Amino acid sequence: MKAEIQIKGLFKSYPNGTQALKGICLEIQKGHFFALLGPNGAGKSTLVKVMTTLINKDSGNFTIAGINPETNQSKIQKIIGVASQDNEIDPTEKVENLLVFQGRLFGLTKPESNKRANELIEMFQLDTERNKKASALSGGNKRRLHCALALVHHPQILFLDEPTVGMDPVARANFWEIITQMNKSESVTIFLTTQYLDEADKHATEMALIVAGEIRYSGTIIDFKKMVNPDSSMSLNDSYLKYIKTLTNQEFSKNKKGKML
Amino acid sequence: MNTANILLIERGIIKLIKQPSAPIMGFGMSLFFLLVYNAGIGGVGSLDAFGTGGYLSFVFPITIISLAMGSSAGAGQTLNADMQSGYFRRLYLSPAPRWILVVAPMLADTISSLFFTILLIIIGAIFGVTFQFGFASVLGILILSFLWSLTLCGFSVGIMLRTGQHQSAAIVTNAVFPLLFLSTTFLPRELITADWLLAVSWGNPVTYILEGNRYLLAGTSSASFFYIGLIIFALTSTVSVIFALSSANKIKI
Repeated sequence: MKAEIQIKGLFKSYPNGTQALKGICLEIQKGHFFALLGPNGAGKSTLVKVMTTLINKDSGNFTIAGINPETNQSKIQKIIGVASQDNEIDPTEKVENLLVFQGRLFGLTKPESNKRANELIEMFQLDTERNKKASALSGGNKRRLHCALALVHHPQILFLDEPTVGMDPVARANFWEIITQMNKSESVTIFLTTQYLDEADKHATEMALIVAGEIRYSGTIIDFKKMVNPDSSMSLNDSYLKYIKTLTNQEFSKNKKGKML
Repeated sequence: MNTANILLIERGIIKLIKQPSAPIMGFGMSLFFLLVYNAGIGGVGSLDAFGTGGYLSFVFPITIISLAMGSSAGAGQTLNADMQSGYFRRLYLSPAPRWILVVAPMLADTISSLFFTILLIIIGAIFGVTFQFGFASVLGILILSFLWSLTLCGFSVGIMLRTGQHQSAAIVTNAVFPLLFLSTTFLPRELITADWLLAVSWGNPVTYILEGNRYLLAGTSSASFFYIGLIIFALTSTVSVIFALSSANKIKI
């Protein structure tokens, strides 16, 4: 079976010389809940931007649902939903109007768009904010709206780049309830990047660890924990910290040797 | 045209209606010029060189030109606001073709400029501006005005996208402003005494829109100005749209 997301030897560097991605290879099956973890600046957001066609890759290949995004950008956009790190909201528009417009942009008819907007307003508990301009929303509600906008067109694959930053615990719980429900009942493939490892631990089943643009681990979360600490059970957070610490020490001694030579 | 494209153009127009300060300012200035020029130096219109339309019809094209200049100074407001808020990224991730994200707000700016041109034509007609060929004259003026406005908006948006600063849209207006004075703006060619100014005016594209409009309004110019003007501004508007589209690649997502 062909993977829903297939990445082969992906490279990306920025004009300032930073090599953000160094030959990334990944495969994610349909309906899986995948978490991409790694320190700040490791290349997580760059990978999401490349895969969602926000920026171009330098070399390598990737397909999404078997489609090549370079030749079928519009087709890709119809099947993916993206909630990036930063809010992408028109502050001058009302909550309901933004959701309806988003639906229309993705090809829903006006009645379908209105219906979907109502569903999302209810799901994300934005009823009282419906007629408020986005600029008048609290930080947490802006975040809810931002995530709701990514779901308007019933995406088949969802890219969530640190989606819960700025949400209060209730909003966060509500958000994950919606996402896990979509993942389980509609087999929506989830590609998550997060620094909240408890969230990845609780909801995701597979993960990859990216450090300095390279994948250092790819597999199930359970196997990662076992690999780091075979003797006792540890949370993903602790396993991650331990692994990164070991990695840092290895790099440090490598560099030291290099200097001595 | 597909639904997404229409929606985005509609959105651009609605945004301009909600924040109309730039086009209204441009319109106000044009109206002011029309009234002041006519009241101040309208008396010279009795000279033969101004034709039957008098000074009002002679000076009217300048108000149309300055209207588009005023609008283009605020061109790309919506695009800039979307980029600042991050909403542009959301639009970028929609199935809409990416070229329309740049062209839609530009078209909205041009349509708004055209709307105010029609308003100006109505006011001009009330004040006594003549239209040599009736509705055909109005249509000709609108076509020239559309191309001129699209030229200015395209370059303004392109520069704004490349510099990432909304204020830089005004660079085009400032660059074009001197061209107004190096043309047959205030006097017909027959009354311009400086040979160098006459020579420069031949190479100045503004001359062709001015004289083209004068041909349509009072018949004081030759038809060739109108046709050459059409060719010039069809070319410049095409170049400016290409410039704006190529500038879209410079946007930092």
